[in-house]
Amino acid sequence: MAVTELDTVVAQTATDKRRVKTTSKEVWTARWLLLPAVLFLILLTQIPFLTTVGYSTIRWNLLYPNDRGFTWFKNYGTALSSGDLWPSIVATVVITALAVVFSLLFGMIFALLLNRQFRGRAVARTLMITPFLIMPAASALIWKYSMFDTNIGILNWLSRTLHLPVISWSTEHPLLAVIIVLTWEFTPFMMLILLAGLQGQDTGILEAAQVDGAGPWRIFTWITLPHLRMYVEIGVLLGAVIIIQVFDPIAILTKGTGGTKTLAYLLYERAFIGLDVGQAAAYGVITVVLTIIVATIALRTLFKVFMAGGSR
Amino acid sequence: MTTATTTATPTSGRTEAQEIHFKSDRNAKIRMYLGLAALVIWGLAPFYWMVVTAFRDVGYTFDTTPWPTHVTLDNFTTAFSTDRGNHFGAALVHSVIIGVLTTAVALLVGVFASYALARLDFPGKYAVLGVILGASMFPGVALVSPLFQMFSNFGWLTGANYQALIIPNISFALPLTIYTLTAFLSEMPWELEESARIDGCTPGQAFRKIMLPLAAPGLFTTAILAFISSWNEFLLAAQFSTKSTQTVTVAIANFTGAQPHQEPYTAVMAAGTIVTVPLIIMVLIFQRAIVSGLTAGGVKG
Repeated sequence: MAVTELDTVVAQTATDKRRVKTTSKEVWTARWLLLPAVLFLILLTQIPFLTTVGYSTIRWNLLYPNDRGFTWFKNYGTALSSGDLWPSIVATVVITALAVVFSLLFGMIFALLLNRQFRGRAVARTLMITPFLIMPAASALIWKYSMFDTNIGILNWLSRTLHLPVISWSTEHPLLAVIIVLTWEFTPFMMLILLAGLQGQDTGILEAAQVDGAGPWRIFTWITLPHLRMYVEIGVLLGAVIIIQVFDPIAILTKGTGGTKTLAYLLYERAFIGLDVGQAAAYGVITVVLTIIVATIALRTLFKVFMAGGSR
Repeated sequence: MTTATTTATPTSGRTEAQEIHFKSDRNAKIRMYLGLAALVIWGLAPFYWMVVTAFRDVGYTFDTTPWPTHVTLDNFTTAFSTDRGNHFGAALVHSVIIGVLTTAVALLVGVFASYALARLDFPGKYAVLGVILGASMFPGVALVSPLFQMFSNFGWLTGANYQALIIPNISFALPLTIYTLTAFLSEMPWELEESARIDGCTPGQAFRKIMLPLAAPGLFTTAILAFISSWNEFLLAAQFSTKSTQTVTVAIANFTGAQPHQEPYTAVMAAGTIVTVPLIIMVLIFQRAIVSGLTAGGVKG
């Protein structure tokens, strides 16, 4: 159904833009080439989503399989009044915002460092990327044990060596622990995007500014930062879209305790521990709506870049 | 004489300026290396500690000497042993099977789509791109529950039904594949293809014989990224995998130690070493390709 919708969109644009010089045969080739990918993606993301919307309007708990029926928006009402939704929206927003800001900040510092010429730059850059490519489940475990643990963690080894109190990070400061792990994971992501921006910078302008006597800080704030604006936007938006949905570190580090029960985790808990399909679906729809808001802005920004790059 | 004195002043002035410049240069260098040290510690400290713990005898788990002590390979044996109900070795095999099949399908479907996006000009191109990018941003967690119902109706959630994991993984890998490949393909010298067609090749032949070999590095990078995305998947695997399809992510998260009621520090760290260190080495070997792939996918232009 969605495919025909898309086809009509394509057809409409085709009639709108008669100036397109492509032959109709080529247009059909393009459609056939794209069909499998688009069909697959729609089948796997949109159909389950419509199912979710459907589930969200029925009363269905797997514990009571016989008590099943249509309830309109009662699941949303329960979600709003249960007292779980707001804390989890707050948790999602706090975790996403802080992780994005910190990883952007560190990513900027590392990108500026790696933008210089020095021996071993390629190796340094690669080592910097690994936290992003490593299995998130494994990195959550690595942090849980080798960093945060009260017995063997580095952080507590450091505080013992410096005679500071030993802190059980993932139980005493769960929110902070999750944010730290996410910042660690996403700093390389931000760094890569910003580094691409820095390397696209016109060196002539930088040299001219230097000749005119501008200091490094001035050059950074007046020339580099404005140039990086679009890259920062992309980094923030894409990072936010990914981090909103994040699940692994919460499941492994805190199990949603101590203000870390994000929407994604809450929904998982309702579906697979509470076994309440209807309720979970309502939370699912809410999560999707929240993501779509951020993603739409992200897509718009990305398109600007794609258009600028693709017009060549 | 006068010229000499007039030139002398600026020269000495310049050397002074050079001196200052040199000093600030040296300070900048020191700052840069300090920054780099911070960078390396930031990126590597958790891994370093993990490896050190992985090679340390279980009896000395709580010995927090910062360098390797009581080195042993026992933890790796524990990680692979099935006595405690861990099936780490089998899980590695399952993850590889799922990863390879996911990558193969995503690449096959992705090549066609990216060829159309990069090479052909057609109306509605941006609508398609929007659908693909939009799908990549769709929250996976919202799909778990409906897919679970659907797959359990199909009877896929028992036994060795790899497709229950491969199919959703493809939907995550496909957008990534398409936009990385599109970026690669739009940078290629397509004049070559045209000349091949003038020389009598069909479009398919021209693509297969001329362009595909040229695109090989791009395909390879994309394959690595697609494989990593499948290899790292945890949420769906935690719900959809059975004992005979359990992935590494799930196995490692559910690890139980050599002794009951004991946090399996050393064995988990050994398992962690096995799943992360090969990846780090691979990334180091193919770093140029991977960086260009990641950047091409994220920000093109």
